[in-house]
Amino acid sequence: MKRSWPLLSLIVAAGILAASFFPKHRSTDMRLDDVAALPVLEGGRVKPLDTIARVSLLMIHGRQTVHLPQRTLTAFEWLMDVMFRPEEANRENVFRIDNPDVLGAIHMEQRKRPYYSFGELRPEFPTIEKQASEFQNLKSEQRSSYQRDIVNLFNRLILYHKLQNTLLVAQDKNDLEFLAQASAFSPVPEFDEKGKIAWTSMAQSLLNLKPAARPHPAVVAYALMGQAYHDFDPTSFNDALARYREWLLNLSYERSRVQAELLFNRVQPFYFSLVVYLLVAIFIFVSWIKPQIGFERAAHHLILLAYLVHTVGLFARMIIQARPPVTNLYSSAIFVGWMTVGLGLVLERLYKNGIGHLVAACLGFLTLIIAHHLSNSGDTLEMMRAVLDSNFWLATHVVCVTIGYSSTFLSGFLALVYILRKSFQGAPDDKSDVSFEKMVYGVVCFSMFFSFLGTILGGIWADQSWGRFWGWDPKENGALLIVLWNAFILHARWSKTANRTMFMVLAVFGNIVTSFSWFGVNMLGIGLHSYGFMEETFIWLIAFMASQLLVMGLGTWLNFSHKK
Amino acid sequence: MVLVLWGTLAQVHLGTYPAQRIFFDSFFVFRRFGSMRIPIFPGGLTLGLAWIVNLSAAYVGQVRRHLHKVGLLISHLGLILLLAGQFFTQVFSIESHLPIQIGESQNYSESSRAVELVLIDKSNRDFDEVTSIPSGKLKAGELSLPRLGLTLSVKKYFPNAVLSMKPELGPSEATRGVGAKVHVEEAPTVTQDDEENVPSALVEVKDAQGSLGTWWVSSALGAPQSFNSNGKDYEIYLRPRRYYFPFTITLKEFHHDIYPGTDIPKNFSSLVSLIDPEANVKRDNLIYMNHPLRYRGYTFYQASFGNNDQLSVFAVVQNPFAISPYLGCAMVLLGLAWHFLVSLTAFLRKRS
Repeated sequence: MKRSWPLLSLIVAAGILAASFFPKHRSTDMRLDDVAALPVLEGGRVKPLDTIARVSLLMIHGRQTVHLPQRTLTAFEWLMDVMFRPEEANRENVFRIDNPDVLGAIHMEQRKRPYYSFGELRPEFPTIEKQASEFQNLKSEQRSSYQRDIVNLFNRLILYHKLQNTLLVAQDKNDLEFLAQASAFSPVPEFDEKGKIAWTSMAQSLLNLKPAARPHPAVVAYALMGQAYHDFDPTSFNDALARYREWLLNLSYERSRVQAELLFNRVQPFYFSLVVYLLVAIFIFVSWIKPQIGFERAAHHLILLAYLVHTVGLFARMIIQARPPVTNLYSSAIFVGWMTVGLGLVLERLYKNGIGHLVAACLGFLTLIIAHHLSNSGDTLEMMRAVLDSNFWLATHVVCVTIGYSSTFLSGFLALVYILRKSFQGAPDDKSDVSFEKMVYGVVCFSMFFSFLGTILGGIWADQSWGRFWGWDPKENGALLIVLWNAFILHARWSKTANRTMFMVLAVFGNIVTSFSWFGVNMLGIGLHSYGFMEETFIWLIAFMASQLLVMGLGTWLNFSHKK
Repeated sequence: MVLVLWGTLAQVHLGTYPAQRIFFDSFFVFRRFGSMRIPIFPGGLTLGLAWIVNLSAAYVGQVRRHLHKVGLLISHLGLILLLAGQFFTQVFSIESHLPIQIGESQNYSESSRAVELVLIDKSNRDFDEVTSIPSGKLKAGELSLPRLGLTLSVKKYFPNAVLSMKPELGPSEATRGVGAKVHVEEAPTVTQDDEENVPSALVEVKDAQGSLGTWWVSSALGAPQSFNSNGKDYEIYLRPRRYYFPFTITLKEFHHDIYPGTDIPKNFSSLVSLIDPEANVKRDNLIYMNHPLRYRGYTFYQASFGNNDQLSVFAVVQNPFAISPYLGCAMVLLGLAWHFLVSLTAFLRKRS
C-alpha cells in the first residue's frame, strides 16, 4: 500500500478529471445538454448557450451553481428557468448583495447568505435606477464603494431582465420593437444580402418577416421549446429541439469552436489545476515533516497532471479565441501561472531538491486563484479592441512582458522560501544555499532578458501604432521599473555590493515591483491600460506588498545578525 | 526608479501630460517655496544624461579589461544608443494631429496643446500673409512687429479660461470684435486626459496712429475678428499652432467597423489621397490601426474619429531619431542573447 498509494492518487485525480468531460444533465428528461450546445451570438462572437448561462450566473450570483434548499441547479438549468419559467426563477435567491449600504437603500435586511431574488428586488427597481443613473456618469475610480455597488446591482438587474426577454415572442409590433432592444444575445442565424450569417434577436427576426412568410426555424424552435419547458412537456421539447438541430446541421458556422468551448466549460481545467496545485503544496509540506512515506512521489505525479491540464486549458482558450494566449487581465494571470509552474518544473529537473516543485505548486495555486477572482465580471474570451487587434504584437510583446512578470515572481518567491527556511531552520546548509542562489540568479537573468525584450517590443508597437516609442504611460513606467529593478539586483550581485542573503532580499522586492506593475498601475485610473479602481483588489495588493516587506525585513535582520 | 514611481503617481492628479512635462521632460523637478522655484529632485533629462555619461565612462574603463564579456559590452553600447536616441527624440520630435472630414483636403497639422497668435493680412487677392507668434511669447507685455508697423500689447494671457456671455457682469474688457460681448475668466489648467485647455488672451493692437482697439482672442473664439491699418485688412486669431507640410492629404473614405451586436471597435481605417506636386506623387493610401503612412519624414497614424464617422483624426509625428530605439534595442538584445548563451554553455559544461 505504501508503494502504490501515490500512483493511486494520480489515478483518482485523473478519474475525476475524466468524469468532468461527461455532460451534466443526462438524468433529466429534457435533453438540456443539447440545448446548451446551441450557438448564439453575444459580445461579437458565436458561443454556446452554455457560456451565456455560466457568465451571466457568475456576474449575478458569483458562482456557477445555484444552491436552493431542495436542490442544486447548474448554470444552464438556472438560465432555462429564467427564460422559460420566470415565476419560479424570480423566487430563487441569486442576486448577491454584500454591501450593507446598498441593502439599506433598498430597505432589505442583511442575511446570513447574502442572496436576494429578482422578485423581491423588483419593487425597488425605481430606487435603484434613480441612484445608479446619478452615478453612471462618474468615472469608476471616482465612485465610492456604495456607488460602484449600486451601479453594479443595476446592471445585473438589467442583465437578468434582458435574459428573460431574449427568447420571448409577441404579436404586437410595439412589443416586438421593445423586445428587439431588450435582448441579451442574438439566437437567430439569418442571412444578409450577401448570403453571410447575420445573427439577430427573435423579435427582430419577426419584425423583418415579409408578410405571409414563415418564421425562421430558430424562432419556431425556441418558442416551442420555451412553451414545452414551461409546461413540463419533455416530448414536445425534445421534438422541437431535434428539428432545430437537424436544420442547424446544414448551417455553416464555427461549429467545432462552439463545441470545443462547450467541452471547455464543462471540464473547467483551471479549477481542476488550482485544486491539485494546492494539494501538491500540502503534500510537499507534509513530506518535509514525514518523509519517505510517498508524499514526494504523489506530489511529483500530481503536479505533472495539473500542469498538463493547465497547458491544455491554455491552448484550448487560444484555439477558441483564435488569439495568442494573453489578451486580457484574466488570461495574463493564467499565463503567469503556466509560465511560473513550467519554470519551476525545469528548476526541479535541474536541481532535484523539491524546491522547484514547491514553488511551482504555490505559485500555480496563487495565480489561478487570482484568475478565478478576475473571471466574475464578464466573458473572459472577449473580443479585442481595435488597437489591440494584432496577433503579432499580442504574441510577442504581451507574452514577453508576461513571461517577465512570471519569472520575476518566481525568483522573488524562491528568495522568499530561502529567507523563511533560513530563519526557521537556522542551521547553515551550504550546498542547499548555493543551489538556491544559483536558481534565483538564473531566473533573474532570464527575467531581465524577457522583461527588457517585452518592454522594448511594447515601445515598438506603440511607435507603429501611435507614433511614439515611449509615452510615460503608467503601464510603461511599471514595466520600466521591473527592468530597472532586475538590472539593479544583477549589478548589485556582480559588483559584490550585495551578499547572498541581501541578494535574496532584493529579489523579494521584485515581487512588490511586479505586482505594482501588473495590477497597481491598472488601478490608478489613468493611461491606456486603465481598468479602474477595484477596492478588494487594492486591499489584497497592499496586504501582499506588506507581507513581502516583512520577509525582506526578516532577511535583512538575518543578514546582519549572522555577521556578528 | 524613485523618479518613475513619483511621476506615475503624480499623473493621477495632474494628468498624464502635465506630469510628464514636470517629471520626465525636464532637467529638474521644481517646487515653489514662496516666490521662488527650487529644484528638489533631478528630472528625467538630467537622470537620462547622467545615465548616459555613467554608461559611457564605465564602458571606456571596462573595454580593455573585460574584452571577453563582449556580449555585455555590446548591450551596454546599445543602451547608450537607446537613451541618447530618446533624449534627442524628446527634444526634437514634433507631435501634432490632423482632424479631417471626408472630402476635405489639408496641408497642415495642428498641435494638441500649443497655440499661436496669428495676424492674417488679407489685402492681397492671391495669397494671405500670415504672421504667427507662438504661445511661448504671449506673456503679458509688448510685442512689436516693425514689418507690419504694429505693436501688440498683451494685457492678459490665460493658459486656460472659461468664456461666457453674461451681460450682467458689465462691459467686457475687449472693445472690438466678438470678444466685446464675451466675459473671459481664468481657469485652472486641466488635469484629466480627455479635457482640453482653452488658451485665451486680451490683446491691444496699436499702430503709428495709436490704439486700434482691444480684442479677446481664444481657441474657443473661431469667428474672424478684423481691423484695418495702413490700408490693409488684418484678421486676428488665437488658434492651435500649425505645422505645414509640403504635400496635401485628402480624406476619401473612413470606415469604423464594430463587432456585430456590440459597441466594441474592430477596426478604424481611412483611405487618403496623397498629392505632392514637388515630387510628382499622386497616390492613395490606407491608414489604419498599427499601419501608419510614412512620407518624407512625416508619419500619419490613425488616432481617433468623430462627427458620426465623418471625421478622421490622424496623429502626425516628425521624428528624425525614430530609428534610434530600434537600433539601440537590437544591439542590447544581441548583446544579452550572446552573453546568455555563453553563460548557459559554460553552466551546462560545468554540470556534465
